Amino acid sequence: MLTGPPLLEMRGISKDFPGVRALQDVSLTVRAGEVAALLGENGAGKSTLMNILSGVFGSYEGHVLMNGRQVSVHSPRDAQQLGIGMIHQELNLVPELSVADNIFLGRELRTRWGALDRTRMDRRTSELLSGFGLRLSPRRAVRQCRIAEQQLIEVAKALSLNVRVLIMDEPTSALAAAEVDRLFGVIRNLARQGVAVVYISHRLEELDEIADSVTVLRDGRLIGRRAGREVGHAELIRMMVGRPLGDLYPREQAAMEGGEVGLLVEHLNLRGDQRNGRAALHDVNFRIRSGEIVGLAGLMGAGRTETLEAVFGAQPRRAWSSRMRLNGRPYSPRSPHHALRRGVALLAEDRKAQSLVLQNTVRFNISLTALGQYRRWGVLSRRLETAAVNGMVRDLRVKTPGLGALVNNLSGGNQQKVVLAKCLLTRPRVLLMDEPTRGIDVGAKAEIYGLMSRLAEQGVAILMVSSELPELLAMCDRILVLCEGRITGEFHRGDATQEAILEAAMARTPVLAPGA
Amino acid sequence: MSRRSVPGQTPAATTERDGDGRRPLEPVVAPPRTWRERGGRVLSLLGSLQGYIGLVLVVVAGVLTKGDVFWNQQNLTNAVGAFSSRGILAVGETLVILAAGIDLSVGSILGIGSMTAALLLTRWHLAPWEIVPLCMAVGLFFGFCNGAGVAWLRVQSFVMTLASLTIVRGLDRQSSDNVSVGTQVVDANGQLAPFSAAFQGLGTPGHNILTGLPLPIFGRTGVYYPVVAFLVVCVMFQLVLSKTRFGRHVYAVGGNETAARLSGVNVTAVKIAVFSLSGMLAGFAGPIDAAYSASADPLAGTSYELDAIAAAVIGGASLAGGRGSIIGTLVGALILTLLDNVLGLNAVSDNLQLIVKGLIVVVAVVLQRPGLLISLGNFGREFTRRRTR
Repeated sequence: MLTGPPLLEMRGISKDFPGVRALQDVSLTVRAGEVAALLGENGAGKSTLMNILSGVFGSYEGHVLMNGRQVSVHSPRDAQQLGIGMIHQELNLVPELSVADNIFLGRELRTRWGALDRTRMDRRTSELLSGFGLRLSPRRAVRQCRIAEQQLIEVAKALSLNVRVLIMDEPTSALAAAEVDRLFGVIRNLARQGVAVVYISHRLEELDEIADSVTVLRDGRLIGRRAGREVGHAELIRMMVGRPLGDLYPREQAAMEGGEVGLLVEHLNLRGDQRNGRAALHDVNFRIRSGEIVGLAGLMGAGRTETLEAVFGAQPRRAWSSRMRLNGRPYSPRSPHHALRRGVALLAEDRKAQSLVLQNTVRFNISLTALGQYRRWGVLSRRLETAAVNGMVRDLRVKTPGLGALVNNLSGGNQQKVVLAKCLLTRPRVLLMDEPTRGIDVGAKAEIYGLMSRLAEQGVAILMVSSELPELLAMCDRILVLCEGRITGEFHRGDATQEAILEAAMARTPVLAPGA
Repeated sequence: MSRRSVPGQTPAATTERDGDGRRPLEPVVAPPRTWRERGGRVLSLLGSLQGYIGLVLVVVAGVLTKGDVFWNQQNLTNAVGAFSSRGILAVGETLVILAAGIDLSVGSILGIGSMTAALLLTRWHLAPWEIVPLCMAVGLFFGFCNGAGVAWLRVQSFVMTLASLTIVRGLDRQSSDNVSVGTQVVDANGQLAPFSAAFQGLGTPGHNILTGLPLPIFGRTGVYYPVVAFLVVCVMFQLVLSKTRFGRHVYAVGGNETAARLSGVNVTAVKIAVFSLSGMLAGFAGPIDAAYSASADPLAGTSYELDAIAAAVIGGASLAGGRGSIIGTLVGALILTLLDNVLGLNAVSDNLQLIVKGLIVVVAVVLQRPGLLISLGNFGREFTRRRTR
């Protein structure tokens, strides 16, 4: 199957942005029925290449061929007519519209009389969704769906377009393991039907499972192309970063036993809320010693994010009840402002929606939380601010043209570092991290892991939520497992295994059906 | 281990770790090296000056058509003086717009401010330095109500301030029984009473607001107090926005409210504050407007909010919030007022003036778009590259 003529060829593609050569003479070939993985660090040019292919950038140098015939892709419309579909990492759904309305947005089915044919659209939607085992009412507003469900809706939307080339930009970054398996089933199915899939991911383990070929980009150049299963992770990482990476997880020694308790949470109850999709919590108890890294595992909707938000004061005070103690003193967070003042910081799950003012500068974003430290007589001292921000930028190795650069123009990994820098400037004693490495490349991941270890050594208590089990197993001293708002398992470093955690996470919930 | 420290504060702890085979340190700020980069810098500098192009065009048009009649201090100060009260509204409006809101009630609050001033003056013969703070307090009250409605009751700012636009106008007309109140009060001898003369100083050239006497510094040059007040307000609030924590928080709330909240910004307080300040500035503009027109009309300030919004938007503020500046608004206000003046000097009919002003708003906003020149520059580069191939 994979020896046939190429369905899609990109030859000698180059692209400039003001002051940056984003792509330099890059080529990519995909055959019908092939799953071609595109690999590279953030800023390597993967997204640029795929945005060219899907017509987002009107102009480029080089040639695009479909079935050996040269075509021009200068608008998303061109791409759509050629049968090229793209699922962006940032979801493009209208939250207020229903699932069916979103899938048929712009090409709604109509009855003979010109009215919307909801029956037919709903039926078609249900078929598409059940194709990968998602039970979801087509009339439900997308706003009410969890991120994992929204991602699958986006996949269904692309599939409904009868695509010949499907580009998926990190489709699994928000999915739990079971959901990933389901998505892979769908992808294999598509490939069998002759669709060419371009698959962008940072998770190397996934490529073993799904990719027929791997193409690696670095700094806007093509580094190499390998057949899928014959290439080891070490080689891929070397190709991506240009040099062998040290141990990905730098944390060797566990936290000292008997350190003082940084955060104590007892009987945390949270009322669920159907309208904004907030999961309920039932009698959650845990403690984190200073210098300890504790993981919080669980499926989507298990209440992991809600737990962090309650501790950070980001959930309405009347919705939850708990007895908390921070460094031995009573702690009842009324607001994020209050939590930050007590030395609790949160690295939120969705950096673009929850953490960054994208249209503002690196300086503005990093210093926002800690501005009080740089005031002299009520006036901000630019010198103090710049010194602190510069220190952070250097420490975390944020790649930016300058402190005045817009955050929007940074790559995902560097945006995440900006958010981290913002948290760290408040000098937290307790750091809550929600998916700290979601959607960022291996190099940046390693740096963030290193930073976490360093913080723990300095006595910061860290509570991290992650959907990537290998990451939790490698980084955490202890792992708590949440299922439907209850703690269903606690594992110490050493006796935790992926299987045991998954079992606890699914202790009493059917996968993927929060309120469906 | 209760030491409070993070990498930023402990360079020693971080340098130890730099040597373990990971990526070398990237330079944080790269100096421009190639000509391409330098060209980009020039273009982006030009881009940041875009805002002034409209102003230059208007001035050139004035000079070309009317020469000295337009370009003399008397005419220019008259023009700006007439616009000052609206300019002050525009400053408050900019604050609200930066926080991703809108304030439609500023015209009405100016109206009730001017009426308050006139009533205080004619009934109790108060001095300007008593009248102005009281009017500001009245404006602050209504602004606070707007802010409370938006922040606490979660009414959209458009709706909330639309409601207060009519409510405040109603109060204004009720308190004056629908008649305008003159501020030039004559005493038994047929002379302007001293308290009235002092008040008039708020709207006439070169008077001290405390004494009502002409100021020697401004003397005959004809600098209006309204113009001075407008400029002082501009400078003050530009400094507040760029130099204080509150200013940063305003931008943050407008740019991404969730991120602001999770960053520890008290979003509620910021919203209430910007509406309160906007109301307070509108209240401040009231007595100035009354003194300038020598009376408080029950309809004073009607539709001024639209001029205020136009000035902010022409000045580069985005109604989506988080982008704009007071300097920009000042330029926007100058464009509007000088355009008015140039059209008036050229005896363009009122109806035509309205049409032209409307068109100018759209043209100005398109010209203001950040990166317009940069994208033109890109186009130019790409164009030449294609030609040379």
